[in-house]
Amino acid sequence: MSTQAWLAAVLATSLVSPIQPAPLTVSAATSMTDALEEIAKAYAAAGGGEVRLNFGGSNTLARQIVNGAPADVLISADEAQMAVVEKAGMVRPGSRVDVVRNQLVVMAAPDRVDLVRERFLQAPADIRRVAIGDPLAVPAGVYARQYLERRGIWKAYEPRIVPAVNVRAALVAVESGGADAAIVYVTDATIARRAVTAFTVPVEETPPIIYPAAILAGSRNVSEAQRFVAFLRGREASAIFRRHKFLAPSGK
Amino acid sequence: MDVSQITIFTIVTALAATTLMVPPGLLLAWLLARRRFPGRVLLETLVSMPLVLPPVATGLILLLLFSPRGPIGRVLATVGIDVVFTWRAVVLAMTVMGLPLFVRTVRAGLEQVDRRYEAMASTLGAPPLRVFFSITLPLALPALVAGAVLGFARAIGEFGATIMIAGSIPGVTRTLPVAIYSFAETGRDGDALLLVAISAGIAFAALWLSNYLSARAGLRA
Amino acid sequence: MIVLDFTLQQGEFRLQLNEELVGRVTVLFGPSGSGKTTILDAVAGLRTPSNGTIALNGRKLFDARARTDLPPHQRHVGYVPQDVALFPHMNVRRNVLYGRRRGQKLSLDSVASILEIVPLLDRQVVRLSGGEKQRVALARALMSAPDLLLLDEPLAAVDFDLRSRILPYLERVRDELGVPIIYVTHDRDEARRFADHVIVLANGVAVRSGPPQEVLT
Repeated sequence: MSTQAWLAAVLATSLVSPIQPAPLTVSAATSMTDALEEIAKAYAAAGGGEVRLNFGGSNTLARQIVNGAPADVLISADEAQMAVVEKAGMVRPGSRVDVVRNQLVVMAAPDRVDLVRERFLQAPADIRRVAIGDPLAVPAGVYARQYLERRGIWKAYEPRIVPAVNVRAALVAVESGGADAAIVYVTDATIARRAVTAFTVPVEETPPIIYPAAILAGSRNVSEAQRFVAFLRGREASAIFRRHKFLAPSGK
Repeated sequence: MDVSQITIFTIVTALAATTLMVPPGLLLAWLLARRRFPGRVLLETLVSMPLVLPPVATGLILLLLFSPRGPIGRVLATVGIDVVFTWRAVVLAMTVMGLPLFVRTVRAGLEQVDRRYEAMASTLGAPPLRVFFSITLPLALPALVAGAVLGFARAIGEFGATIMIAGSIPGVTRTLPVAIYSFAETGRDGDALLLVAISAGIAFAALWLSNYLSARAGLRA
Repeated sequence: MIVLDFTLQQGEFRLQLNEELVGRVTVLFGPSGSGKTTILDAVAGLRTPSNGTIALNGRKLFDARARTDLPPHQRHVGYVPQDVALFPHMNVRRNVLYGRRRGQKLSLDSVASILEIVPLLDRQVVRLSGGEKQRVALARALMSAPDLLLLDEPLAAVDFDLRSRILPYLERVRDELGVPIIYVTHDRDEARRFADHVIVLANGVAVRSGPPQEVLT
């Protein structure tokens, strides 16, 4: 409660400020596109400055920053990639915060969803193939694998895993009938055209899927960046994130 | 509506890139077609690099050069010019990726020009620059046009280097290919397909124009 | 007065010349491969001798020792090559006027009427007959007001009938325009009729040199 009051105070004082801020460059993971575009608009409506959102895969964004690209804020979908940027000394010390959490869901085509709901955990042998993000490349795939391992069914599914290059591809696999089930983020369910959610994976059954944000060391606009990050953690942004199916960072 | 913004932005930047390609491209094509000099093979190789390197790698190299701390970016920053994450990065990526194709095509055309005509012009008193512009270039015009169209088409379709150095910033650096990718990734399939259709339309128009001009040039000769 | 005193090595072939030309028309006579065209190329600046000098009216066009090698566009030498090489992307008028320099005395009208190409001026090059192309090429070379005219077998590709009609033009150029001419041919009759001086070439060397009556038997 006191943290929120503090944030509100920072917000209030900064919005009263008459200085015209320079555009802020925010590099953000593609999976947050819709949510962040809304938030950027809300930020402007609340008196904040112009925000230029640069979307990309978390690894591409990290590579850009490490090689000198001039961004002010990084919002990553992958803690490992944030660590890469930190290790390269590109993060402003003490500025890293958790923005949102995500959650896994298991999805299936409408005609297979009952089967998946009943048998996915208990009878893996009845499920033909499972599409997940490539565990070697995509964070969602890493988390999917960890989930299956915790439930003790990774070995059973391993020979029938379809590693997809991204979430889109995993959903296509399910929708085209190539796989019975796909494990994706709850925030990706909206991308699906025909696939529906069989069940949601409880948050405790996977490691925390944290999306961190940080202000970058090369930022020429630190106060504005701080304002924006504070807004991201404020009430209005949280509501927008919730509407797009993201969870609050503390896991509520 | 952002579809028209994306389309117009892509066409304008591709036209700018095509225009930028021409002077250095002509010079390089002429040097490689007509002159022998130490380091010629090295130059030839360097010019062909963007064709062979993965576009992302070329983008990375451009990023290292043009970021505010890079050797070129630093100099530009002193006169207030930012490249990375702006439209300038888009034009830069398009130019770098299209230039090798332009040079190759024009060079082949220049090599086809009978040097007897150039020799005759020379004996008639034309200095080398006049020979180039009044004899060589007009006779190589179909190749020049074809090269420009190829460069333009490459620019319109450029993705890998663009995404690295210009990023995917809606309204600022989203070209057709970058937007198609973004829309496909975030489930906006209808919009993605619309942009695909527009890209195909532009490519078709460019090729049609190129063929039409070549045919006219052929008829004139 | 033209000085040709040079050697030119090209692969196996070696051309060696030491001549002073004073007449109006000098004919280089000999079989193909004897080096006649190479000489013209060297005088025009399209090929570089290995050593020696080439001078025109006292002006050094090439001097190996002094490291002088004027580029073709500075030599004021008109060249009508065997393949004529009219610019295909220009019409006759633009071809003829290409080398015209500002303030020169020669006018398009006079040259065009001497060579009777006035009705051809607006035609495209591709629509010309062999004889017409020769005359246009001649006009083009003349319009650059050269100090020397080089003609490489101008009548070789032209049929016998046409030859007798073009030769008078060449004589007119020689007589009315006063430009010295070096003329390459392997035809004795042309040489006899046209030349003041004949140099007979074989394998890159001048084997005989003198007035046509003496040299050509």
